[in-house]
Amino acid sequence: MLLVGANGSGKTTLARIMSTMLRADRGSLTLNGDPVEKRLIQSRRAIGFASHRPFLYMGLTPIENLEFFGRLSGLKDARARASRQLDRFGMTPFANTPVDRFSRGMLQRVALLRALQGEPSVLLLDEPYAGLDDDGTATLNAFLEEARNRGTATLVISHDRDRVAPLRPRVCAMRAGTVEDRP
Amino acid sequence: MTFLWVTLKDLRLHARDFRFLATLGLFSLSLVLILSFAFGPIFQEPAREASATLWASLFFAGILGLTRALDLESESGGGDAVRLAGADPYSVYLGKTVSSFLLLGALFCLVLPCAAVFFDVGNLAVLPQVAGVAALALIGYAAWGTLFAALARGLKARELLLSVLLFPTLIPIWIGAVKLTHSLWADGTIEPVRDWLKIMAVMDVLGLAMAAWLFEVVQEAGE
Repeated sequence: MLLVGANGSGKTTLARIMSTMLRADRGSLTLNGDPVEKRLIQSRRAIGFASHRPFLYMGLTPIENLEFFGRLSGLKDARARASRQLDRFGMTPFANTPVDRFSRGMLQRVALLRALQGEPSVLLLDEPYAGLDDDGTATLNAFLEEARNRGTATLVISHDRDRVAPLRPRVCAMRAGTVEDRP
Repeated sequence: MTFLWVTLKDLRLHARDFRFLATLGLFSLSLVLILSFAFGPIFQEPAREASATLWASLFFAGILGLTRALDLESESGGGDAVRLAGADPYSVYLGKTVSSFLLLGALFCLVLPCAAVFFDVGNLAVLPQVAGVAALALIGYAAWGTLFAALARGLKARELLLSVLLFPTLIPIWIGAVKLTHSLWADGTIEPVRDWLKIMAVMDVLGLAMAAWLFEVVQEAGE
């Protein structure tokens, strides 16, 4: 699903609530029918989230970051999986360079891989195309297509409809904190 | 094994931050040098003055280490990503406590010989006991410091809050460390001040137990 809306309409806040980073003032958040607070650790492992902030340790390399977060999520083959994903995103030559030396686009690739690495059942991507070049966009769309085929529920928040268009997503709009099922 | 991954990650980040390590080392050594000049050149009670200098230096350098560790978690959202990865909160706490303890331990290994040389209290026979006292003191520092650092993480005045919470809590541990080290260097025994050992151990256990109870709540409240 693609979520569009004006600046300040609440898209990022919604994504942060859905990712369990923020608590909602009202209402409840459920995953497979269960409140996420009841099984917070399991719920978090089932949700992949990428946002404006990279959610990485800047002094670590991409492979170290991905292996670290993969291990915390319980992935036994975190390093091998990280190597494969970095290769697909064309990042193998930079796998051992600390991410604080990266450009915006390269950092974005690593940040997206962190969200994607556990093959989560819910994927929340806030402006995932920011900083990505054409190759990066095509690779991300391939990842998203695969996720859709696995049955992953994906929410993409983006102002760049052209880049999401190849995925033919359902489009919703957010206005003043309310999601409407039409663009 | 989550806690080992967290410890390894923290140590890697510290090891690559040469400017931070150099600042930490220079700061603690400068304190030793300044206090040795303040107390000297003829020391009245070298054992007392040396132990005060050693622990004052570690106390203030330790807060630099904790503040840096706090910054590493806050910049670019690394700490938030740890939460979102679904890691067991107490394992994360233990990992960070162990890495802080190892950093403080390295600092102790740097400062101890300097304090011993400047104040001429180098009694190698009591070195294992001094190391034991240091272990108790630094476990307490790391245990309480990591808990309070997590509490302060999401706030703008986090360094201030960390100091306000941590300094009073550490007073019993630090007085104990000063008294025990003084007794070891002066008399070669801890018998006259043995009770401080129990107080320090109780404070350490209390810090670790409080974190087991509170760390998850504190971590979630940080946002």
